[in-house]
Amino acid sequence: MLGFLARRLALAAGTVAAVVILTFTLVHLAPGTPMLGDPERTLVSPETIARQRALFGLDRPLPAQLARYARNLLTGELGESFTLHRPVARVLADALPNTLLLGGTALLLALVLGLAVGALQALRHPSLWDTALSAASLVLYSVPLFWLGLLLLLVFGQELRWLPISGMSDPTLRETLSPLGRALDVARHLVLPAATLGLVQGAAFARFQRSALIESLGAEFVRAARAKGLPERLVVLRHALRHALAPTITLAGLSIPYLLAGSVLVESVFGWPGLGRVAYDAILSRDYNVVTACALVTGILVAFGNLAADVGIAAADPRVRLEQ
Amino acid sequence: MVIATTGDADVLLPPVTTTTLGSNVADRIFCRLAELTLDLNTVDDSGFRPVLARSWEHRDSTTMVFHLDPRARWEDGAPVTAADVAFTFAVYRDPAVNAPLAPNLAAIDSVTAPDSATAVFRFRRWYPEQLYDATYHMRILPKHLLDTIPRARLASSEFGRHPVGDGPYRFVDWQAGTQITLAADSSWFLGRPHIARLAWRIIPDLQAAVSALLAGEADAMELIPSRNQLERVQDDPEIRLVPYASPFYAGIVFNLRRPPFSDREVRRAIAMVLDRGTIVQSVFGRFADVAAGATSPMQWIWSDSVRQLPLDTAAAAKALAARGWRLAQGRPVRIRAGVPLRFTLLVPTSSQVRQQAAVIVQDELRRLGVEMRIQPVEFTVMERRTVGGDFDAAFVSRTIDPSPASLLQFWGAGESNIGRYASPAFDSLAAAASRARSRAEAGPLWRRALEQLNEDAPAVFVFSPRNNAAVGLQLENVSIRPDDWLATVSEWRVRAASDRGRERAAGR
Amino acid sequence: MSPWRLAARRFRRNRAALAAAVALAALVLAAAFAPVLAPADPLAQPDPVRLQDRPPSAEHLLGTDPYSRDMLSRTLYGARISLGIGVGAALLAVVLGAGVGLGAGIAGRATDQVLMRGVDVALALPRIFFLLALFAVWEQAPAWAVLALIAATGWFQTSRIVRAAVLSLRETDFVAAARALGAPGRSIVWRHLLPHVAAPTIVSASLDVGNIILLEAGLSYLGLGIRPPTPTWGNMIMDGKDVLFTAPWVALVPGLALVLTVTAFNLAGDGLRAAFDPKAA
Repeated sequence: MLGFLARRLALAAGTVAAVVILTFTLVHLAPGTPMLGDPERTLVSPETIARQRALFGLDRPLPAQLARYARNLLTGELGESFTLHRPVARVLADALPNTLLLGGTALLLALVLGLAVGALQALRHPSLWDTALSAASLVLYSVPLFWLGLLLLLVFGQELRWLPISGMSDPTLRETLSPLGRALDVARHLVLPAATLGLVQGAAFARFQRSALIESLGAEFVRAARAKGLPERLVVLRHALRHALAPTITLAGLSIPYLLAGSVLVESVFGWPGLGRVAYDAILSRDYNVVTACALVTGILVAFGNLAADVGIAAADPRVRLEQ
Repeated sequence: MVIATTGDADVLLPPVTTTTLGSNVADRIFCRLAELTLDLNTVDDSGFRPVLARSWEHRDSTTMVFHLDPRARWEDGAPVTAADVAFTFAVYRDPAVNAPLAPNLAAIDSVTAPDSATAVFRFRRWYPEQLYDATYHMRILPKHLLDTIPRARLASSEFGRHPVGDGPYRFVDWQAGTQITLAADSSWFLGRPHIARLAWRIIPDLQAAVSALLAGEADAMELIPSRNQLERVQDDPEIRLVPYASPFYAGIVFNLRRPPFSDREVRRAIAMVLDRGTIVQSVFGRFADVAAGATSPMQWIWSDSVRQLPLDTAAAAKALAARGWRLAQGRPVRIRAGVPLRFTLLVPTSSQVRQQAAVIVQDELRRLGVEMRIQPVEFTVMERRTVGGDFDAAFVSRTIDPSPASLLQFWGAGESNIGRYASPAFDSLAAAASRARSRAEAGPLWRRALEQLNEDAPAVFVFSPRNNAAVGLQLENVSIRPDDWLATVSEWRVRAASDRGRERAAGR
Repeated sequence: MSPWRLAARRFRRNRAALAAAVALAALVLAAAFAPVLAPADPLAQPDPVRLQDRPPSAEHLLGTDPYSRDMLSRTLYGARISLGIGVGAALLAVVLGAGVGLGAGIAGRATDQVLMRGVDVALALPRIFFLLALFAVWEQAPAWAVLALIAATGWFQTSRIVRAAVLSLRETDFVAAARALGAPGRSIVWRHLLPHVAAPTIVSASLDVGNIILLEAGLSYLGLGIRPPTPTWGNMIMDGKDVLFTAPWVALVPGLALVLTVTAFNLAGDGLRAAFDPKAA
């Protein structure tokens, strides 16, 4: 197991390095210079632009810039954002927790929903309930994430006015609320974006859990348990569910790329101040350092997710460990 | 007062901030020596009122002396001195700081401080806008707090995120990407502001920002650039729209280095066939004016009587034919010596209105036998290509100063003249106008310069949008200066009997 | 009865899947005949002032967008992009993945290891991030480029499936027998390998189409990929989000089109999977 882990970690490290190098190269090859502010508001002369480029070392050849970046990275220096005039590390430190909060909540929601619906379907299989829920999860699974967000925004934010339509918190309330109040305020703002991400991912999980549970409910040992006269609920809870719970880690790990991709869209729809939005803005304004740093963080998160997934699979199936 | 805004701020330090929000906030914290009054008369000394400088005089044709108000203080209690003024000038002009406004100070040779209350400005030559240049571009910075920071690190320094100033408002808090809060300085030397707190709430999506305004979560917005959103606000009885002249004008700039635009007659023909009135009406309804020239209603040189090229399709067609561009049998595009009359117009993807206008322009030009291809490009790419001269025509929007000298910036010699228009006639008119001794004298000269531009058509000046600020009814005594909408905010009031509980809770 | 015939029969008996297939056929026809069916030019802006954001009416069955363009026409033309890129990229990805998987499975151990390590790394990379950066770089990417790049970032799983199938088959008896009889490699591939691999690849590809359609829509929504004025359902939603509260149909209509199309593909894909392997249903 340890050797397996070691190999996987090495692979993960290599992957992250590949991500960073590829992104760095891509962004630097992009046409258009980094946005030094709003050019139509304050006209920036070419001399100023040239000086800025020299200041940031942008006029040196690409491999030299990459080497410099790598060296800085090893000392933990992520560089400075051209558009925000702040150290990139600070920008990420502000944004990353928000994305983790959003993604984490959505993942939790998706896992619970997926398990609950999948279990319900498996128990009631085959029946009208099962078919109806299958149809519902299929449709949800087919919905574009950003559109679902807009729909929820329209219905719950604008028409019914139950929930806020933008941002992570109400900043004017922040001064007058207790910490609990502030947490509740954030929770209120979290509902719609997390629901958007969680519902679609939950539908995918439900489809998976349903088939996994139906299969395990038909398995030998469950039949044996039934034959022993154990109550149905116990059969389900102790045997089938345990069987279905095992791939949870794997499911969670594999869903990280999806959650990260989804966060770009969801954060855009709901104005959630997270990494997705930062990355998107940075790509558009050619803020090289921010983009590369986001790639680094994303690569690490995805690598971590894959690692978790592989561990989950290996823990469940020893053959996988040996095969590699 | 909560202001809903769609952009984020970069840094709150006047010489280096390049974002609208950054300027809006920093301009409340740092003061100028003197301020323009609402009518934005940049030529006469009477157009200014004292702020940090209590009085000033012209010692001779190239020297101005400012006497600082002894009551002016920095937040930490230190007095605002002439040393601060000299320091500020040095910072703005320092290449290491890379201040975008540095070129505007080129006419000032030096700023010295013979004593702590007197600042002496020496100019390279005489011109009537000396007072304007001395006061408008610089906001005075605290030397004792900033001179220990290396100039190149100023933009990213902690001070830029926690500024200490001398203005009517003081910095309180900045939640990155969410809100910036300022509190009134109750002992400000020119009078305590009536509104105790200013908070800018950052909501990147315009629609959501307007929703916040309508829901009472915000009290005001600087401008609402979309007709749909304007209509939403108009329907709300608790909010009023305050229109004001915008500092923008937009036009299709031709690259005179490229054929066919090196030919004046071709440019004039295009200008004569475009029905700008219809374009503006179609795209904006009543929320914009047809541009009288390279100016906006904010500048005092704007006038309806500036002579324009007539709208005359027949004359345009004849002119093109006279230059050799003819319509072959049954072909839609004019040809001269085998070359079709076609070009590509760059339009930024960020501007829906310009994209809409471009489509109408395309249609009108097609009827003249000119083929225009619209290429939507990203902001950064448009900047690179226009500055680099790699374009046929570009639909640009210009932000201008109150001073008509901005005409020289974009149409005289210099990098900002992206189309490389060069006309001795225009140059001499503009030079004469900038030397005229008073507004009455300068006015007609500037107008003739504008007319020269219209005649030569280096660009087709299409529209100048009208800004509309949205202001809740509970805000009183609101006046808006077009170049800086919060310039008079220290005189605004919030009506006492306000039922916005949030305001009470925030300690109004 | 051949396994294909069996699968086809099972598919026909599955009413939901059949309905989905019919719906897809109708969709493809509508997209193909869009120039005929569309009441207006999808790019024409007849009156950006008065016809802006009109709700559905007799002249405009699905309303107009902020540029006064007819929504029905744009939706029909948008179908061409979504379906074209969806199916095209899925097919291309299958070809790429099958090619690499086949190569890895047949080739010597060293090549196999190199290829599969590469696939592992590639699978670990966040796809949307690269596509975002790629299309930000390539501003006016034409449709074929979008198709190719989406396919180029999406063949990895297929290669693994194919390789696994190849490896498992390599060791079976009848392949060994065929070799012993002197049958050339190519015929082994055609007669034995391909049918074995075809089923899971077809299923995986058809389920992939839905994801690709959503991916392309997401990219257009963010303003990358295929840019306006060419209508794609994604960039139509982007146009609609700014008028969501005042003219909701502009964003809702293309979204519904996406939901219906992707649901149909997923339903058909599920049906295919059930048809080839009823136990997995």
